Amino acid sequence: MDLLQILVNGLSVGAVYGLFALGYTLVFSVLGVINFAHGAVFTLGAYFTYLLIGGAVGANGLLAGFQLPFALPFWGALPLAGLGAALVALLVERVAFRPLRRRRADPLLALITSLGAGVILVNLIQLLVGAESYAIPTGALGGLPASFPLLGARVRTVQALLLGIAVLLLALLTLWLEGSRNGKGLQAVAEDPETAQLLGIDSTAMVRLAFGLSGFLAGVAGGLVGLSVSIAGPYFGIGYGLKGLAVLVLGGLGSVPGAVLGGLIVGLAEAFVPADWSGYKDAVSYGFLFLVLLLRPRGLLGRPLPTKV
Amino acid sequence: MDAALLEQMLLGSLLALSVYLPLRCGQLSLATPGFYAVGGYVAALLSTGVAAFAGSGATSPLPALVAEMVLGGMLAGLIALAIGGPVLRLRGIYLAIATIALVEILRVLNLNLPFTGGAMGIFGIPQPFAHAGGYVLFTLALLALACWLCQRLEAMRLGRAMAAIRDDELAAASVGIDTPRTKLIAFVASAVLAGITGALAAHFFNSWNARAGSFDASITTLAFVVFGGSRFWLGPVLGGLALTALPELLRPVGDLRLILFGAVILLGPLFFPQGLVTAERLRWLAALLRLGRKRGHQAPQAP
Repeated sequence: MDLLQILVNGLSVGAVYGLFALGYTLVFSVLGVINFAHGAVFTLGAYFTYLLIGGAVGANGLLAGFQLPFALPFWGALPLAGLGAALVALLVERVAFRPLRRRRADPLLALITSLGAGVILVNLIQLLVGAESYAIPTGALGGLPASFPLLGARVRTVQALLLGIAVLLLALLTLWLEGSRNGKGLQAVAEDPETAQLLGIDSTAMVRLAFGLSGFLAGVAGGLVGLSVSIAGPYFGIGYGLKGLAVLVLGGLGSVPGAVLGGLIVGLAEAFVPADWSGYKDAVSYGFLFLVLLLRPRGLLGRPLPTKV
Repeated sequence: MDAALLEQMLLGSLLALSVYLPLRCGQLSLATPGFYAVGGYVAALLSTGVAAFAGSGATSPLPALVAEMVLGGMLAGLIALAIGGPVLRLRGIYLAIATIALVEILRVLNLNLPFTGGAMGIFGIPQPFAHAGGYVLFTLALLALACWLCQRLEAMRLGRAMAAIRDDELAAASVGIDTPRTKLIAFVASAVLAGITGALAAHFFNSWNARAGSFDASITTLAFVVFGGSRFWLGPVLGGLALTALPELLRPVGDLRLILFGAVILLGPLFFPQGLVTAERLRWLAALLRLGRKRGHQAPQAP
């Protein structure tokens, strides 16, 4: 395989990791905890996309044979799936995070409660639509060709889309964080929730906003992955969820550009693993994570860790 | 209740104690399933590949099992010793993520190394006991030993140093506690216990593969401790017993089983943020026992 092809493959996979880690990082920046239900929300985004483009549920599960009475083009389905995922993420915040915050319990308990929410979601999916894999047909893209030539390499349209949408969402998110009132509010809460509250910023609303955005990003990423490699079953988000964790630390916990940079680095590094060693590919990201934690614990673009006395 | 389920519950308790040990000095390590898998592979490889451990036919000698448990515990402990120094410099969520990464790296190695049997793993591990009941008695003895050691720890200098680090690491260091060394001891002890448990579990389950040590297991074992309570060894023991039994007891509800299990994990920390076994409830229990004993003494005098 030639170099350019490897680069394209690596960047498009890396874009997904980046989108995934962006969701983690938004929640981490306001609450200081990891949302382990994030992988399940990503999975839901993929199933929502599949249903919205008119896909039918298979023979297993309670919803066997179910099909929406309408079929949207992929362009319409993807943002709607993102919105659906955002609603689920808000629900996760409501049941797994807010009660702990209200009781001022140890934030680390959120690791357990959010995983509980994830377990419920994943098994609910399995109960409703079964464990089989679903493929989003590439025909969903309308008149676009399946692949196009670029400087001598074949680029799948889906790969270009993944990269393009990830960069677009990152740009929008950065603009919004830096330029809007709510974006500034979110940053203030990330800095210090109590001071932000004193300054008249509604911390609870900002936390909800962070969850909604993170769910939207996860849902869109899920839909894109579903289009690119198919939905492998209710558990397919878990692998991405763990990779996303590695990417998150690599880029720097709480850093938005760091999440995307980390994603691209991990995606590229995996793409360069030779075929004979492909079994070890999954260890690459964790190896990176280990190195970063030991050499530069704040991550590539993270701020120095605070030392509190 | 059948002996096989009881054995799984006891193994769950041992793993919960392995998560509890680092938590006792404030270190959230999720590495237990990784060390558990390593211990299991040691036992699986030795008892299926080395004649001295294999015994005759389907049964293997008990001393071989004990030797495998010692070796499995030692290998897990050595790995913990090698990586513990740098890893334990990390705090809180960073340590948790690093240990998740360690579990994943070990899982990928177990899946791909030339001698671990790939995705299928290792089959036909010989049985030192003819019935599950033998495993139960043996594991019960091991659990009792582990609990006794944890109880001893409460009174020892080491145990007090661990508690001091949990409450305030800086203050502990300022009164002369060697914090890196204490944390390393807790981490290595946790790994040794997980490795020993893995070696025993590999025989009990008869086969072993890379799924033994996964991310799911990391969080499930942490849930054992969070449920039971992380302040006293009885908490993780009870949490391990209860949460291992729960999915099996829920089997009658069929497909809803794992959804209900998720709901329990979700709701447990909300209603019992300190876990089931807290200092307050222990005192209450002790008072109740004293009361019961007094009544027992008075009983003969009553008409």
